[in-house]
Amino acid sequence: MAEMSIVFNDINKSQGVFTRRAFLMGGFVAFGLVALTGRLAHLQILQGSKYSKMSVGNQFNFRVIPPPRGDILDRNGKVIAGNRPSFRVMIETNEVKDIDTTLDQVSYILPQTITMRRRILRDINQNKRSVPTLIAGDLSWEDFSKVSLYAADIPGVVADMDQLRAYYHGGAFSHVVGYVSKINAADMKVQETRADADLNLLHHPSFRIGKQGIEKSFDNVLRGTAGGRKIEVDAGGKVVGEDGDGSIPPEPGTDVTLTLDLDIQNRALEAFGTDSGSAVMMNIHSGEVICMLSAPSFDPNLFVSGISSKAYRVLADYERKPLLDKSVGSTFAPGSTFKMATALAILDAGIDPEEQVFCRGGLQSGNRFFRCHGVHGAVNMRNAHKFSCDTYFYAMCNRAGVDRIAKFAGKLGLGHVFDSFEIGGQKKGLIPTEQWKREWFNGSTRARHLDPKWHPGETLSVAIGQGYVNVSPLQLAVFTARIANGMKAVEPHLVRKIGDQVIDHTKEYADLGIPKAHLDIVRGGMWAVSNEPGGTGRTNSQLDLGPNIQISGKTGTAQVRGYDKAGTRKAAEWKYKDHGLFVCFGPSDAPKYACAVVVQHGVAGGRFAAPKAREIMRLAMIKDPEIQKRITGPVNTALDKAALERGEVAGASDMPNEGLRAEAPPGD
Amino acid sequence: MVQSALSRPGQRERYDSKIGQIDWVFVALLLMVAGIGALIQYSVGGMSWEPWAYTQLRNFALFLTMALILAVVDLRFWLWMAYPAYAVSLILLVLVELFGDTRMGAQRWLEFGPVSFQPSEFMKLAIVLALAQFYHERKPEDANWSWWLLVPALMIAVPSGLVMHQPDLGTAMLIMLTGGAVMVLAGLNWKAIAAAAVGAAASIPLAFFFILHEYQRKRILTFLNPEGDPSGDGYHILQSKIAMGSGGLLGKGLGLGSQSQLNFLPEKHTDFIMAAVCEELGMVGGAMVLLLNGLIIIMALRMAALSHSHFGRLAASGAIATYACYVLINGAMVMGLFPVVGIPMPMVSYGGSVMLTVMAGFGLILGVKVHRYQELPKQSSLLAAFE
Repeated sequence: MAEMSIVFNDINKSQGVFTRRAFLMGGFVAFGLVALTGRLAHLQILQGSKYSKMSVGNQFNFRVIPPPRGDILDRNGKVIAGNRPSFRVMIETNEVKDIDTTLDQVSYILPQTITMRRRILRDINQNKRSVPTLIAGDLSWEDFSKVSLYAADIPGVVADMDQLRAYYHGGAFSHVVGYVSKINAADMKVQETRADADLNLLHHPSFRIGKQGIEKSFDNVLRGTAGGRKIEVDAGGKVVGEDGDGSIPPEPGTDVTLTLDLDIQNRALEAFGTDSGSAVMMNIHSGEVICMLSAPSFDPNLFVSGISSKAYRVLADYERKPLLDKSVGSTFAPGSTFKMATALAILDAGIDPEEQVFCRGGLQSGNRFFRCHGVHGAVNMRNAHKFSCDTYFYAMCNRAGVDRIAKFAGKLGLGHVFDSFEIGGQKKGLIPTEQWKREWFNGSTRARHLDPKWHPGETLSVAIGQGYVNVSPLQLAVFTARIANGMKAVEPHLVRKIGDQVIDHTKEYADLGIPKAHLDIVRGGMWAVSNEPGGTGRTNSQLDLGPNIQISGKTGTAQVRGYDKAGTRKAAEWKYKDHGLFVCFGPSDAPKYACAVVVQHGVAGGRFAAPKAREIMRLAMIKDPEIQKRITGPVNTALDKAALERGEVAGASDMPNEGLRAEAPPGD
Repeated sequence: MVQSALSRPGQRERYDSKIGQIDWVFVALLLMVAGIGALIQYSVGGMSWEPWAYTQLRNFALFLTMALILAVVDLRFWLWMAYPAYAVSLILLVLVELFGDTRMGAQRWLEFGPVSFQPSEFMKLAIVLALAQFYHERKPEDANWSWWLLVPALMIAVPSGLVMHQPDLGTAMLIMLTGGAVMVLAGLNWKAIAAAAVGAAASIPLAFFFILHEYQRKRILTFLNPEGDPSGDGYHILQSKIAMGSGGLLGKGLGLGSQSQLNFLPEKHTDFIMAAVCEELGMVGGAMVLLLNGLIIIMALRMAALSHSHFGRLAASGAIATYACYVLINGAMVMGLFPVVGIPMPMVSYGGSVMLTVMAGFGLILGVKVHRYQELPKQSSLLAAFE
C-alpha cells in the first residue's frame, strides 16, 4: 500500500482534499436545509394564526347589502316616499373579454343602450374591475325578461333587481319631503368625515343620499345600517362562493311620519293648478303643519336616478320657479294681511278701537299722497279690517310707532326663523325697525342714497305690509295660528313620529303675552272680513258646510313695484302683477286650524288666494271628526253671532290637542 | 490498473452488471420528490391532471429513462465530450446574444424550427463537466493556488456574464455558484475563498447600481421591505408567506388551499410551488420535501467521493452543487429570505427544461457511482479516451 500511495500521490492528495471539501459542502447544505426548516416552523407554527387570519381575509369578503331606506308617511300612515323594485342590467368588467362586442350584443336586446354607450364606457373606466357597472336601470318588465333570457349567453352581463326610491304622489310633497340622489363629491367629503361613516355603503353604486327637505334633515334616521353578504372571492375579486351563515342582514331605515295630510296636500296642489305660490295650513294648538305646498311643483322621481341636464334646465329656467320651496324659501310683502299686527300695536298704544278715521281714498303725509284702494268714509278698527281700509292704518300707525308694530309682528312670528322646524332653507324675511334702518344704512352700499333716519312716511308703508316688510308663507301661517290661539306662541312642526315614537309638540310653547281683549278685536275684524256683507273676503271664504262652521280671514294684495313706474296693478306681464294673499283660521267660534295662502302675481287676495285657502280649510274641517260632528249635527247649536262679532273664541289653548286623528280617518 | 477483487476482468463493462450498480435507493428518492411535485401540480391545476400534472409526470418518466441510460454511459465519453459541450454551449450563448428570441423582456431563447430552448440551461451542466476535466488534468497544487486558476475563473466568468446580459440573473448566479463550488471542491486555497467571498460581498452594491436592470433592483428593494408595497411588488412575497403560514403544521388538505386554489398565490405551479406544498400539506409536507432533497444531496456527495477518478468526483459533486443551489435559493426565496430571482424548485415546480438539466445531472451522478472504479487518462484527446 505504501508503494501505491507513492505512485498515486497526486490522486490521493486530490482525493483527500475533495473528501474534506465534500464533507464541508454536505454540512453547509444540511445547515441550509435545517435553517429553511426552522423558517418553516417560524412561519407555519409561530406565526400561523396571523397568516391564517390574513388568508381568511383574502378568501372571504363582505359585499355590502344596502339597507332599505325608511318610508316617509303622511299623518295617517299613507306612504309618501317608499322603495320600489327596479330591474337593471349590469356588466361585470372582469368577466368580459371584449367590452365593445359585449355592449353591441346587449344593444341588440335593448336598443336604448346604443345612445348610452359613452356614459357606460366612462363608468366602466371609473369603477374598479371587480365592481359591476350599470348598463341600464329601471327596465320595464318586458325588457327585463328579454335580458334575463339572453344574458346567460353573453358572459359578464347580469340582470338583477335593486331598490329605488319612489315618491308616489309626485309633485305634491316634492319640496317638503325633498328627494334623494346619487352622492356628489362635496357630500361624500362631509359624510366620510363623520365618526359613524360606513365607507362601503357610501361608495356602493346604489347608495342615495337625501338632498332636500325631510330626506335631507332626517337622512341619518331614514338611511339604516348596511348588511353584508359573506362571499368567497379569488385573487381577481371574482365571486366563487357564498357563505350564507356568515352574512349579516341589513337594518332598514326608520320610518318618519309627517304631520302632513295626504288628501289635503293633494287638494291644495289641485287648487293651485298652474298658479305660482304657496299654501301652509297648520293646527293652531300643536303647531303641526297639515298642508305645506309650494306651487308649481316638480316630480322628485326624476332626481333619484339622475335628472338629465336638459330637463333640469327647463325646471331651473321656468320663471315660476318650481324648484324653489316658496313656503319657507321665498318672502313676500304681506300686504293687508299684516294689518292685524299693526292693529295690535295701535291697541297697545292705548288707542280706542272705536276711534274713527275718515277715509277719502287716501292720506297726505308730508309731500306724498298715500292711496287707499277705495273710499270708505268713517271707519273704526273693526271696519278697517273688514274693508281693509289703508287710510285708517295710515292715520293711526305713527301713534304706535314702527318699533311697536315690529314688536307685535315679531311676537306673532313674522320675520322669525323657527329653529325647531324640521326642514332647512327658511328665509328670515324682514320686519323693519328704526335701529334696523340705521344698521342697514351703515352696512350696505345699496342703501347709501337713503337717509339713516326713519321717516314717519315709511311707517305708513309698513302699517299696510308694504315697504321693507317681507315674510314667508310659513311665517304668515304661524302668525295667523298665534292670533287664533291667542295664548301660546305656537311653532310649526312637520314630524309626528320617528319610527313608533310619537313626538308631542304641545307643551313647549311660550306664552304669547298679548291681552285677550286686543286679540278679540282683531279676530272680530277678521270674522267680519269673511262673514259680514262688504267684507273683502266674504264671497270666497264661504265653506258651504252649513251654518255651524265659519272661518275668519284677512285678504291681502301686495304691490310688486310702484304703480307709478309699472303702470297699473293689472299690468299685462305676469311678473309685474300684484301678489294675492289670504290668511284665515277656523272654525271661527272655536279655532283649530290656521291657513296662509300666497298666490304670486295673483292680482288680488280676495279673488285669487282666498278660494285656495277655502278649499284647504274645507277639506280639513270635513276630515276632522269633531268638526264633522258639528257639520252634520243639529242646526240649533247655531253660532253665537254676538260673540263672533266680538271675536271671542272658545277654548283657546285649553282645547285638547286632537284633530285629524289617524285612528279614525273619516271619509276614507 | 487496480481492479476490485470482487469482479472478474470485463465484467464491469457489461450492461447488466452496470444496471445492478445503479443506486436504486437514490432513484426512489427522486421518484418521491417528483411524486410530491406531481401531486401538487394536480391540486393547483384544480384537482385535475390537466394542464400540469400529466405533462410533468410524462416529462419525468422520459427524463428518468434518459438519466438511467446516461448512468451506464462510460465516464470516458463524459470526459471526451466535456470541452466540446462547453464550447458548443458557449457558442449558443453568443448566438442567443446575437439572434436570440426575446420573451417576456429577456433574450434567452434560441429557435431551431419547432424546437426552442435556452442554451443557458445546457451551460449549467457543461460548466461542471469542463471544470471537472480541467481539474482532472491539473496537479492538486495548481488547484490550490496558481496562475492556472485564471482558466477556470474565465471559464465561469464568460458564460455567466453572457447569461447575465440576457438578462437572466438567476441562471447567471447558478452558473457562478456551481463553478465556484467546483473550484472549492477541487481544493481552492481558503484564503482565496475568503478573498472571493469578501470581493463578492463588496461588489453587491456596485452590481446593484451598475449591472442590475431596473426590475431586478426593484425586486431586491422589495425583498428588503416587502410591506412597503403589498399590492405591487411585495405582493408575491406576502402572498407566499400567507399561503405557508396559514397552512400550519398539517396543512389545509390537498385541493383545499385557498391561497393557491383562488390564485392569490402567484406562480403557484412554478417558482412558488413550495408555498402551495406548505399550504396544502403543511409544515410536514414542506419539511418532507426539504428532507428528501437533503438526502439526495448527501447521497450524491457520497457517490462522488467514492469515485476513483478526479473527473468523476468533481463532475458528480458539481452536478449536485447545481441542484443544491436550486433547492436552497428557491426555498429561501419562497420563505421571504431571498429576493425573487426566478429559480424554481427542481422536479417539484412545473417546467421541462429545468427538469431536463437536473435529470441529466442525476444521470451523470448515477454514472459516476456505476463507474466509480474506473481510472481516467489525463489526456482528453479522442484517441486517449478510447485507447
